[in-house]
Amino acid sequence: MEWIEIFDISLLRSLLRSTAPIAIVGMAAAICSAAGVLNIGLEGKMLNAAFAGVAASYYTESMWAGLAAGIIAGIVTAVLFGLLSFTLGADEVLAGLAINIFSLAGTTYLMRTLFGQAGFFSDPKIVGVEPIYFTFLEGTFLEPFLSGFTYSVYLMFFIAAGLHILYYRTRLGTAIRATGENPEAAEDAGINTVRIKWLVTVFSGLLAAISGLFLSLENLTMFTEGMSAGKGYIGLVASSFGNATPLGTFGASAFFGLGDAIGIRLQGVYELDSRLILMIPYALTVVVLILIGIRQRLKVRPVAIPES
Amino acid sequence: MDKFSFKDVLVTFAGLFITTLVAWVLITSTGNNPSEVAKYLYEGGFKGTRNIANSLYQATPLILTATATLISFRVGMFNIGINGSMYVGALYAGWAGYKFTNLGHLSHVTLCILIGMTVGALWMLLPALLRVYAGVSEIISTIILNFVAVLFVSYMANGPFRADPIAPATARILETAELKQIFPNSQFNTGFFIAVIVAILAHFVLNKTTFGYELRSGGDGLVGVYPSRFSSYLGIPSDRSAIIGMLISGALGGLAGAIEVLGAVRYFFQELEFNQGFDGILIGILGKLEPIGAIIASLFYGAIKNGGFFVDYKTDVAREIIIVLISILIFFVSAQKIVKGLEKYPIVKKLDSFFSRKKM
Repeated sequence: MEWIEIFDISLLRSLLRSTAPIAIVGMAAAICSAAGVLNIGLEGKMLNAAFAGVAASYYTESMWAGLAAGIIAGIVTAVLFGLLSFTLGADEVLAGLAINIFSLAGTTYLMRTLFGQAGFFSDPKIVGVEPIYFTFLEGTFLEPFLSGFTYSVYLMFFIAAGLHILYYRTRLGTAIRATGENPEAAEDAGINTVRIKWLVTVFSGLLAAISGLFLSLENLTMFTEGMSAGKGYIGLVASSFGNATPLGTFGASAFFGLGDAIGIRLQGVYELDSRLILMIPYALTVVVLILIGIRQRLKVRPVAIPES
Repeated sequence: MDKFSFKDVLVTFAGLFITTLVAWVLITSTGNNPSEVAKYLYEGGFKGTRNIANSLYQATPLILTATATLISFRVGMFNIGINGSMYVGALYAGWAGYKFTNLGHLSHVTLCILIGMTVGALWMLLPALLRVYAGVSEIISTIILNFVAVLFVSYMANGPFRADPIAPATARILETAELKQIFPNSQFNTGFFIAVIVAILAHFVLNKTTFGYELRSGGDGLVGVYPSRFSSYLGIPSDRSAIIGMLISGALGGLAGAIEVLGAVRYFFQELEFNQGFDGILIGILGKLEPIGAIIASLFYGAIKNGGFFVDYKTDVAREIIIVLISILIFFVSAQKIVKGLEKYPIVKKLDSFFSRKKM
């Protein structure tokens, strides 16, 4: 098989599936960065949501209960981050890190103690999210491109578009960007910056939860220890590469998704060491960080990750 | 950062009290008996020579990773990648342990440790340079490098360094490269003393020397703020101190990994799992970013960690509960406003000044 043959429809489908979790959490990071909040804790929010989703789905055997529990878990974690950083005056980075360590240990603890499972938890009682098939597309050339994905893959386009409109067409968007760019001036202009920061934090919790639920209930129907595997951080890098704009972040996430998808395909074609394949997203992230560095040296665009 | 003060101690104890309450809820709600868990936690941590030795063994890498954390934080760099340094340091110290023959005991151990430290330091070079010369957040780059490190060492143990045809592991280190284990049935080894000496050395260098002052001037009192302009007004190159601080931090991470391999495991294998780099961040903060504080907090953490293993073994409660509880404690300690809020009370103020006077 020639290497060029891996570029086909199934690669594109795989690309969309790999992009979804990174893009959604990346946009959570972007909106936080835009408001001047360095949200390291996204990783923990994803994990908590992924676990809560699986646990609730297991106990109730209902997909909706799983999704609701996951979203509540993500938002509760976000509120915890907000309480620590904005109300109790903890350093944002420390609060985010503590939340990530707390979430990783907490979900592992609950999985081992409640279900007696180490490593991963999978059970037929866990109801996952089924892909959506559009019957009206059947037989058309669009079918392989558009049909048969789970909801997050469609949702990410709407989130990107919606955030773009929010950013540039609404007063709230202006207030968010003003808070990030110049908090003092924003305060003078009558914007309650603390309230804006709370708002984006809670919203980022919602997005991170959707991303986490994608991992545990859509892509797979199981929970594994630390299953977010750095996607929250990769999302932060994507938002930085995309200058904290929704569409830029989306594009950067697609780049990571492409790397992921090619890795998955290569694994099927060549007998590569699985560890090297698994390393692709992280190696790509390092490359992107270097690119961000070069761009900053050239001063093409301003620094995107806020310096807390 | 401020020195230890009474109100910090007060917050820590209040945090401990609330953490204990949370622990009680967590344990009861998962159908276990809290007093039984407490008993095993105590026994596993402190009862008998073997458990005490094991607790000290658990504390060994933590002292180093906590010191590594605090050094990087105090030069104004958030190094979250100490775990990565630990992995690569452990891998290459183990490699040096079987590769170099015909060496004496002392020279072989020293060589292995130096190689581990060098590799650990080099692992931090890219994030440091990216941060200082291109303004790329070292927080993210070091976190991502942790993931790279895990996969890299696992690849090496499986591929180029693999010696065992059945298990993905390197060859055993030679006897000349071993750090001696002192107690029977315990992995406690002489590396503990290396760790303590390094931390004490760090205390003196950071607090008593000009070099330490230059290092700190970048970030001290400004945790969370990047190398300030302040130090460059004084003619101190804060860029240089940021890079040096990161490299020292990485070297100590590598040392922690080297001691694990040379003193306890004696070879590197694929499933070898480290998380002391992350624990070290929590401990460094608990110890108020002071090396002596790091030693004390590590001894405490090591004991409850070892107790946690015993709890895990004896009951249905998973050992991760320890990390959950410590991170809840960190929530309290890092909440500056709780600490500041205490200053309102005259009694706290009085005790505070009393204790700080005594320190002078």
